[in-house]
Amino acid sequence: MAKVLHRSLSKIWLDVIYAIFLREVKSKSSDRFGIAWSVVSPVVFIFMLSYLRGKMDGGDTHGIPTFFFMVYGMIFIQFFLGLVNSVSTAIKKHKPLYAFRQVQPISSILAITLFESLVKVFVILLIGVICFILKFDIHISDPFSLLLNLLKLAVFSMSIGVIFSLATCYVPEIDKIKTLLMRPMFFISGVFFSLQDVPQEYWPYLTWNPVLHAVELTRYAVYPEYGNAGVSDFYLNVFTLTSLGLALACYHVSWKQAISR
Amino acid sequence: MISLENLTKYYPSAAGKQFVFEDINFTFPQGKNIAILGSNGAGKSTLFRIIAGSEYPNRGQVRTELSVSWPVALTTGVHPLMTGRENTRFIGRVNGVANLDDYEKKVIEFSELGEKFDLPVRTYSSGMRSRLSFACCITIDFDVYLIDEATSVGDLKFRKKAKKALLNKKNSANIIMVSHDLSELELFCDSAVILHEGQLEFYDNLEHAIDIYKRL
Repeated sequence: MAKVLHRSLSKIWLDVIYAIFLREVKSKSSDRFGIAWSVVSPVVFIFMLSYLRGKMDGGDTHGIPTFFFMVYGMIFIQFFLGLVNSVSTAIKKHKPLYAFRQVQPISSILAITLFESLVKVFVILLIGVICFILKFDIHISDPFSLLLNLLKLAVFSMSIGVIFSLATCYVPEIDKIKTLLMRPMFFISGVFFSLQDVPQEYWPYLTWNPVLHAVELTRYAVYPEYGNAGVSDFYLNVFTLTSLGLALACYHVSWKQAISR
Repeated sequence: MISLENLTKYYPSAAGKQFVFEDINFTFPQGKNIAILGSNGAGKSTLFRIIAGSEYPNRGQVRTELSVSWPVALTTGVHPLMTGRENTRFIGRVNGVANLDDYEKKVIEFSELGEKFDLPVRTYSSGMRSRLSFACCITIDFDVYLIDEATSVGDLKFRKKAKKALLNKKNSANIIMVSHDLSELELFCDSAVILHEGQLEFYDNLEHAIDIYKRL
């Protein structure tokens, strides 16, 4: 009969996250297109939209080639929406697995976050390769800030997803409200426009949105001449930490109840 | 030895908290094969799931130094889009099986799925699914197996095999079992716990317990 290892707590966590991660990969690759579709589909979408917009515009937007202006915006908003949507169903999705005492909802959340983030990393790499092949002039002044902004985006998207995920266990209707709330995000996060195009008196209606900050700061990081009018690194940091703290606190007090309904 | 300490479990409902257990303290004695008896809705499955760690009490805790299986008989954790082999490896990984390849072989052998083992579970019949999950559990070495009407899975041949495997386990491990089939309980268990109105009572003699249970 099969022997069981005596594992440390951290080893159990890693094993479980790895197992769920593999499960996630397997369940995404059930049809002919397989896992590649998760990467190809956003790349095509981002690339086509940015390319067309770049062609139509012809020049640049506040010092950035319009193509790259769009690419950064699209990558960030897709990352945000993808992560929030998949994490917000993470707890319910793997409910049958909590029969194994080793599996806790947080393993499911972390595995799904890891999976989504890796998919997006491949999206970014593939776009980079395509730009390289098409001999687009890739210019990144501050790669470190770019990566850091992506990380912050991942952290606060996951946190928002966790809060929705817990809330839907108690009140299933929250899911519908989430869909409603997420819909305008695509348009108010500065994907198609820069905050600099908006009259200053309307800024307060837009600058609460952390995705807008992440997008604008990233454009600033890759092309400093773009400027960082109206957005602040400090706000993004505070929002990221606060949302993470809140998500962890909510998780800590409610996870046992959330899964026993 | 599995002990329950100040265990309280309730389900919130429109009519207020529905208590299943309130502040119970109880110890399952070691080395006994225990049947859990109780009428419908007495909380047998809830107790079962709390012991297994599949569900968490609102207050109190379950203490044990034994390795306890997950509740068998459910098609727990089996993903319909994954193959039998992938599901087996998943369960093995989660439970920390030392040698996954070896585990896989034993599961194929026990479940008698043959070629079907490499097809998605979606294509299995319900009997085959239960065979897979039963095989996954019984192949791992646990100190205590939690069995929920498990031997009713599969066809007659498999049921015999499952019974034999469980009876073999009786020497090296213990069984806690929930079943409405009294003859099955008599086959596997030697003592019983009666769950009645939120209270647990241990009986060293199964026959005696069944007598009392019938009169409840």
